[in-house]
Amino acid sequence: MTSPTLPKLIGARIKRREDPRLIQGRGTYVDDIKLAGMLHMAFKRSDIAHGRIVSIDTSAAEAMEGVECVLTGAQLAEFLGPMPILTPFPAPPHYAVATDTVRYAGEPVAVVVATDRYVARDAADAIQVEFDPLPVVVDPDRALAGDPAVLHPDLTNILGQTGSNIALYVPAGTGFDPVAGTVDNSAIDAAFANAEVVISQRMWNQRLVPNAMEPRGVVAHWEPGKDTLTVWSSTQNPHTARNTFCGLLGLGQDQVRVIAPEVGGGFGAKINIYGEDYVACAVSRRLGLPVKWIEDRSEAFVATTHGRDIVADLEIAAKRDGTILGLRVKLIADIGAYEMLLTALVPTLTNGMLSGVYDIPAIRSELYEVFTNKTPTDAYRGAGRPEGIYFVERGIDMLARELGMDPGELRRKNFIKPDKFPFMTQAGNQYDSGNYEAALDLALKNANWEGLKRERDAARAEGRVVGLGMSFYVEICGIGGWEHASVTVHADGRITATTGTSPHGQGHETTFSTLLSGQFGVPADRITIVHGDTAMVKAGNGTLGSRSQVSGGTAIMNAGEKVKGRMAEFAAFMLGAEAEAKADELEFVDGRIQLAGTPSIGKTFEEVAAFAYMGAGNAAGAGMGYPEGGAGLTDEAFWEPAGATFPFGCHIAMVEVDRDTGELAVKKLVAIDDCGTVVNPLIVEGQVHGGLAQGIGQALLEGAVYDEDGQLLTGSFMDYAMPRASDLPRFELDKTTTVSPHTPLGTKGIGEAGTIGSTPCIVNAAVDALSPFGVTHLDMPLRPELLWRIIQGGAQ
Amino acid sequence: MDIAGTHQFAAPRAAVWEAMLDPASLQAAMPGCETMDPTGEDAYAITIKVGIAAIKGTYSGTVRVADQVEGESYRLVVSGQGKPGKVNGDATMTLSDAAGGTLVTYRGDVHAQGAIARLGNRLIGGAAKLMIGQFFKGMEAEVTRRAG
Amino acid sequence: MGQVTVTLNVNGRNRKVTVEPRTLLVHALREQLGLTGTHVGCDTSQCGACTVFVNGQSVKSCTLFAVQVEGDAITTIEGVAKDGELHPVQEGFWEEHGLQCGYCTPGMIMASIDLLNTNPQPTEAEIRDGLCGNLCRCTGYQHIVNAVQYAAEKVKA
Repeated sequence: MTSPTLPKLIGARIKRREDPRLIQGRGTYVDDIKLAGMLHMAFKRSDIAHGRIVSIDTSAAEAMEGVECVLTGAQLAEFLGPMPILTPFPAPPHYAVATDTVRYAGEPVAVVVATDRYVARDAADAIQVEFDPLPVVVDPDRALAGDPAVLHPDLTNILGQTGSNIALYVPAGTGFDPVAGTVDNSAIDAAFANAEVVISQRMWNQRLVPNAMEPRGVVAHWEPGKDTLTVWSSTQNPHTARNTFCGLLGLGQDQVRVIAPEVGGGFGAKINIYGEDYVACAVSRRLGLPVKWIEDRSEAFVATTHGRDIVADLEIAAKRDGTILGLRVKLIADIGAYEMLLTALVPTLTNGMLSGVYDIPAIRSELYEVFTNKTPTDAYRGAGRPEGIYFVERGIDMLARELGMDPGELRRKNFIKPDKFPFMTQAGNQYDSGNYEAALDLALKNANWEGLKRERDAARAEGRVVGLGMSFYVEICGIGGWEHASVTVHADGRITATTGTSPHGQGHETTFSTLLSGQFGVPADRITIVHGDTAMVKAGNGTLGSRSQVSGGTAIMNAGEKVKGRMAEFAAFMLGAEAEAKADELEFVDGRIQLAGTPSIGKTFEEVAAFAYMGAGNAAGAGMGYPEGGAGLTDEAFWEPAGATFPFGCHIAMVEVDRDTGELAVKKLVAIDDCGTVVNPLIVEGQVHGGLAQGIGQALLEGAVYDEDGQLLTGSFMDYAMPRASDLPRFELDKTTTVSPHTPLGTKGIGEAGTIGSTPCIVNAAVDALSPFGVTHLDMPLRPELLWRIIQGGAQ
Repeated sequence: MDIAGTHQFAAPRAAVWEAMLDPASLQAAMPGCETMDPTGEDAYAITIKVGIAAIKGTYSGTVRVADQVEGESYRLVVSGQGKPGKVNGDATMTLSDAAGGTLVTYRGDVHAQGAIARLGNRLIGGAAKLMIGQFFKGMEAEVTRRAG
Repeated sequence: MGQVTVTLNVNGRNRKVTVEPRTLLVHALREQLGLTGTHVGCDTSQCGACTVFVNGQSVKSCTLFAVQVEGDAITTIEGVAKDGELHPVQEGFWEEHGLQCGYCTPGMIMASIDLLNTNPQPTEAEIRDGLCGNLCRCTGYQHIVNAVQYAAEKVKA
């Protein structure tokens, strides 16, 4: 494969072309769509976390004016089977609406279809459900032991066990042979036998609620007679949605069109295809009318997948000089009540990241995924990587404290050195490239690390509670398979490109038009980027896992390169007689296609485009006088990187805790991120800022808290603390650039970076601040009350 | 959520005991209680109207009096289902002689399910406190009424 | 349920909506008048996505019933740009990349305009405090702060 030439606009701060519509309230989100005859759905949800459905009385709901129909789970199951998932492990059946047993508070038990949103909600409230309660499983340790109940007694899990809450067990690391299934403990045992210091800590990466500002929503429109289904969905991956709809409804992929209009944020939670989506499709098909469902925020808290929720028992073996000898980890992931699309996969990514940026000679990890009576988990920004990096970075920080070493110097001592790439970690990932020392040096310099230390010590001497923290992250990107793109240069010289990635705030229209603008030498405002519509975009895998620039951007450039090559042939053909121009000697600059070094010999972009469709003569003569290959300027490309990319970075924070209130303020946050080549720094900064805020949110504020009955106590923005503008400092960003060998532009991915690095950085800083009080570890979120009690000398 | 507290009555223990176990007095004292119909020995079906923020609504449920120790203590088990979800309460009432009357000590817990748990959980402690206060106030009036 | 007709002035035009007494202002604007730029991001008045002006004051339109604004002047995000000219705050959001998914943006812009109306030259801390009633999950707020600063500068100049 030939690599595309580097567009000259790479690295320019270009403001977004998406914005004019969005800042004027002209964007169209799912809830803005209205179709004639459209009905509205509302779901009756379980109030209890675990129980058998004894009876459902829908009579009062059915009697209400405007109610079209009410369907219980059992009635729906007659024409809608269990939902598909994309992981290969054994999983229990999961119906869109519970048929006989509910397993989390908020699980749907019936659906109402009505002429009006208010009526649908009233009718759902009027449904009476009688349950026979079952014991509720909340604690993951107890879940592991099947105590006090087993959620899916009929499931035979990957270990061949029935009657267990273990959904998945994955051993990984040094001495474990996944093919033979054999385990050799000698290396990891030797590491701990030779250790001079062992750090051991249980830590919890708590459950989070993704909370995209736009809740989920769907409009499904089955057209009888045409036998086609059009679905507008607030999704990150319309093609996956189409494929799963087809699978469950028994329709062909040519019959179903899924459109992702403006999507108001996703953060991983809109990767999933949910029960409500399937029900909307099935009900629309049954009734022959369009059906809309829009999630309330209080529904979203229980009905949309949660993120994280992994407990780690971590041990690090090291020498007194700071050399790390080994890492042993036991992970328990609390995945909630069911497996959604990628639920089981996400914690396995934690396993894979446990080496962090360090050359650790022996790693052993064991992962248990357990069912509990909670909302299912799945991808949330970072998806498994933040958890892994959090555990490692907390562990490294504890080791530095134990050894009395500077946390930067301890990290430096154990870094994978730049000349060792590509590097296969003992956790099982092959890192493509990295220069960790460069990022560390820049972070230390930008933060003025030594100065900050003096500042901290001086503040402490005054009795203030101040701390410094550092973290170093690496993540795996470019996963998620191939991506598809097409590029068409129209007869008028304008360009349409399609991408199978599907943005929800990432600015693909801006970034991809910039790439093509540089490639074709025409202004970006002559280029339209089409996404989020399976009828217009042939294939795609969506926007997730920080993959869009890496895979989608490269696919677009490859498609562009093919069209450009064809266009050069047309131009050469046109110029041939006068200049004997060769296609490969032509350059595309400033709206012209011309001979390199002799710009006077050339044609305008529009002239060549017109020629490609209309030939040398007039319209009647079209088809005559073309070079070999015939008319037209359109082509497509599939592209998949040869290997995953591994962006990385170093974050440094200074925090201060108010002695009187326990409130923690982030005084300074320096983030060095290396995502390889940066196409649009403005957009990359925005991605990092947002990630930092979410990572800080996890460290300080957010947490899905369940009571012993399996009730979500933090079920609204009143109790679930989202980061607000005043909770955050002004971030200080900078970058190093280590290109990836796997992508033609050297890009690596940036969408999740900030989320991964900032969380351990803040917790490390908080632990440092509270170390005078004897603190060596704190579990998140670092609520003021927790910190206040420590300062007041109370129990942690 | 645990609830606990005391209330001082200016009436003898026997009078308080009788009032607190009298269905008519119970209904009169229970704030927002609209109906209370016996369903068995010491068990009643009730409807209660609550007007506090996210837990606002009409709840239908049951009240059961259990573990009676004549003149000394009993358990009050309440459960109510409404639009915003379900609330279960279980409290032990203990009566003792106190200077100038009777001291009632209560100790128990309240559990919420559904939207109440998600949206109104923070309010339940306060609402329970408020309603318990109203209950005892109402009961005081009942004790006085019955004495008169 | 009975219907009520409410007369109000929206973005300079007199309009009538027929609503149930319980219809929220935000739903009347979105469903009846087709002004879908005002978004609903929560149901507990925490997120601010539905912020509009009622008689020049910013309010969360999910906290008002449509019947409560009888005779009032409402400005929504669709009415902020005048004669095709973006408001300085809108311009700021564009110039400074103050939005990503755009869902909180209309409410955030309304809240920012209100902030600058009461405090034309706010400090960074005042901007952050002033926007506390509005949630954004994408931007980490820094570019939003920059956007407000841009608008403040522009208005001063």
